[in-house]
Amino acid sequence: MKPSILDRLSKLQSPINVLAAVLLGLVIGTALMAIQGHNIIEAYTALFNGAFNGRFNFGGTLERFVPLLLSGLAFAVASQASVFNVGVEGQLYFGAIVAAYFGYVIVGLPSVLHVALVLLLAGLAGAIWAFIPGFLRATWRVNEVCTTIMLNYVAIFFTSYIVNHVFKNPNIGVPQTPTIQDSARLARIMMPSRANTGIFIALGMVVFFIWLMDYTTIGYKIKAVGFNAHFATYVGFRSRWIMIGTMALSGLIGGITGAMQVIGIHGYFLDNFSVGYGFDGIMVALLARNNLKAIPFVAFFLAVLKSGAIGMERFTGIPRELIGIMEAVIILFAAAEALIVIRKRVSLGKGGAEVV
Amino acid sequence: MFSLSEIFTLTLIRATVRMSTPILLAALGLIVTELANITNIGVEGIMLVSAFIAVAASYWSGSWVVGILAAVVAGVLIAALMALIHLKFKADVFVAGIAINLFSLAFTRFLLKNWFGVAGSFYSPRISPIPRINLSFLQIHPVIDTLFNNYNLMDYLAIVLVFVFNFLIYKTVWGLRLRFTGVHPAAVETGGISVTTKKLQALLISGVLGGLAGAHLSLGYTTQFIENMTNGRGFIGVAAMYFGGVAPITTWLASLFFGFTEGVGARLQTMGFPSQFILMMPYVATVFAITFSMIRQQKKLTQKQPF
Repeated sequence: MKPSILDRLSKLQSPINVLAAVLLGLVIGTALMAIQGHNIIEAYTALFNGAFNGRFNFGGTLERFVPLLLSGLAFAVASQASVFNVGVEGQLYFGAIVAAYFGYVIVGLPSVLHVALVLLLAGLAGAIWAFIPGFLRATWRVNEVCTTIMLNYVAIFFTSYIVNHVFKNPNIGVPQTPTIQDSARLARIMMPSRANTGIFIALGMVVFFIWLMDYTTIGYKIKAVGFNAHFATYVGFRSRWIMIGTMALSGLIGGITGAMQVIGIHGYFLDNFSVGYGFDGIMVALLARNNLKAIPFVAFFLAVLKSGAIGMERFTGIPRELIGIMEAVIILFAAAEALIVIRKRVSLGKGGAEVV
Repeated sequence: MFSLSEIFTLTLIRATVRMSTPILLAALGLIVTELANITNIGVEGIMLVSAFIAVAASYWSGSWVVGILAAVVAGVLIAALMALIHLKFKADVFVAGIAINLFSLAFTRFLLKNWFGVAGSFYSPRISPIPRINLSFLQIHPVIDTLFNNYNLMDYLAIVLVFVFNFLIYKTVWGLRLRFTGVHPAAVETGGISVTTKKLQALLISGVLGGLAGAHLSLGYTTQFIENMTNGRGFIGVAAMYFGGVAPITTWLASLFFGFTEGVGARLQTMGFPSQFILMMPYVATVFAITFSMIRQQKKLTQKQPF
């Protein structure tokens, strides 16, 4: 297929669209602040300070950066094969409970090995959980958006059962697992905040997946399936298994996302602990247009907004929900011009009827 | 242990009907959009915003009628937003739906804080609930009375709407055109009818039904607003719609099935059975339901095609 002028234009157009969406979100959010009679300069100063000023605040931003980065990566990786993994939330619950279990029961391993083992097992748990919707999608075209959303609820209830009835810390009234061994913990890098060495692991994973997608045959095959599964099958790729495998890879990242919260932040699994990390990841990936290289920047931007919102609320009384609105408007407009994603969808969705 | 007779009583049938209503209302809207080839997962967000607006309007006006009307207007507005993104700006239908849902969650959180100064949930005795309807002619026999009488107005309305939409979809020109918008859009355009207009109509109707579903959640089923109170009911509506084969009457039966699992779950929970497995039942059932309906659909497709 020759790249037409339209193709080139749409490539240039997409970052411009995202910038426009961000600007619109900022304008609407700022207008809301102004309408409610807040001092805008004060508000943004407080937002900036809340995100960057001092080890605690900046550490808080980094702390939020890690789950945004990883769940965004998870969603974007699945998108390369044109699969929408809305199930990152469920996958991270499974990863987290597995991390909490093996972080606790394994004793006497050197720290590096223990952390690696816990992350690997958590990733595996997430991959297995993501395999189900991946398999259903690739085999019978069962819509993965619907199944992953359902499986999220199943994962939340299942882990809730485990932490309430099977593996509960008996000394505490709250449903949470016993605290993991010190050897499974990630070291803090910016006390008194909870930012930890997990950030380096996360960034390493982003680099690895950029390499995998852009510089290996596996990545080429995944993207070929995402672009046109029928064509990929025609030239001899095993599209079905590539799609399932990509979903499992995405679930692996999802599982590790959950594990990082356990071994890096809390030290245990708490019932219902995720505040929508998985869904935040969708936001990150949408804003990054599923471009893996853009994901760290978008994740950092959103982490600044989230972290800054708390400082802003504390010092100016502007509710942090207002920043939530700002994010929502940005995502709405960013989705509104997802032109590149549409093409992938159309070529897959119609059973080859539309493929010329 | 508990005995089965404690679970399967006449009131379980009542619970089934009550719990199926929000799912059914959402699913009816989803049928209309699905026929026009739009899988509107944004219905979850439409319901959430409507549920909030219903409570707010009922609280300020003291009238549940105003609450329902405001909820319907809110539902239509969110559906119009969805239409803008999907039809005008050509966003992928699932991306648009996810964006609408994220927006609705943030929007209701913001309004809850901004209008009522609370986070999490809002309840007040000033909220006027949608009344239950007592049909005196059903009081002839206690069993008939228990089974059919004293439901919420919305429970009855939803059932009436099943037949209204069954008629609209299969017996009117409007319905024929709607169905062909999904099956063969080019033919519809050739017939001089705008596919975009048809899709817009479908989305706005799903906004009305999503609005009713939301109003029922916060003014009928309960009398309060809780953050994220839809809790996947819109998505279960999607499942009921697929399970019911995208047709009103069978979708009604599917909604009753999902209501039934919820009803049994609630009962087992009160008996001290670990609630989590019961609570996940509707979601597991949904995955199976969508899977089976897809397998069936694919079998049909392969039978039709000679090669």
